[in-house]
Amino acid sequence: MDSQKVDMYLMTNAKFFSPAHINFIRERLLAADDSKWGLINSVDVKDPTTVLIVSIFVGYLGIDRFMIGDTGLGIGKLLTGGGCGIWALVDWFLIQDATRQKNMEKLQMYL
Amino acid sequence: MSGNRLYLSVSLLLSVGYFWLGWSLMQPEPKHNFTPCLFKNVTGIACPSCGTTRSVLLITKGHLQEAALTNPLGLLAAIIMLTLPAWLLYDFFRREKTFYNNYSIAERFINKNKKIIIPITVSLMLGNWIWNICKGL
Repeated sequence: MDSQKVDMYLMTNAKFFSPAHINFIRERLLAADDSKWGLINSVDVKDPTTVLIVSIFVGYLGIDRFMIGDTGLGIGKLLTGGGCGIWALVDWFLIQDATRQKNMEKLQMYL
Repeated sequence: MSGNRLYLSVSLLLSVGYFWLGWSLMQPEPKHNFTPCLFKNVTGIACPSCGTTRSVLLITKGHLQEAALTNPLGLLAAIIMLTLPAWLLYDFFRREKTFYNNYSIAERFINKNKKIIIPITVSLMLGNWIWNICKGL
């Protein structure tokens, strides 16, 4: 893939991934075939800030975990009422990194 | 979630649950008013899963119907606390990953049908919450 496309992708999507992964993504995108461009753009990445807002308001029901695709943990969080509220509170601080991690996992399927 | 992390967090949660249950069982009558629930401590009204401990305590005394009326989640918690330790120990001694494999299958199944399952579960929990507030738990 040519570097102009890769830089454009990174400029629009860098905030969805953790800074430590950006270099790796860049290298893999440069090495990837042009035909994957459409697929890579269609990866359903979630915005960490949006998920944080969801976590603050309805973290008690585990919606934030459902949103990023951690369904098992989401059910656990839902049934325990956000783990007595303690898990919901801890998740305010963990959910952004978890979102970036999940985005990376989703993208990695196509790299 | 990786296998080892799942096993670690589930065993941690189970031991916290058993510790909490044991501590609650040892309290003399009349029962204490301490609750670990942040939501109830902050707002003063019950959260969706308030009453689970009381429900499990009623189950240990054999009052199943009263337990279900206090909080139906107590029945679920009791089933989970009875079955999961056995399952985890089975996996641990047989060096298999049956629990993790089944967890992954269940997660994939829920993910595939999430437009149906999640709204139903969330509305059940919301209903339970309203019921909890009406009961004044």
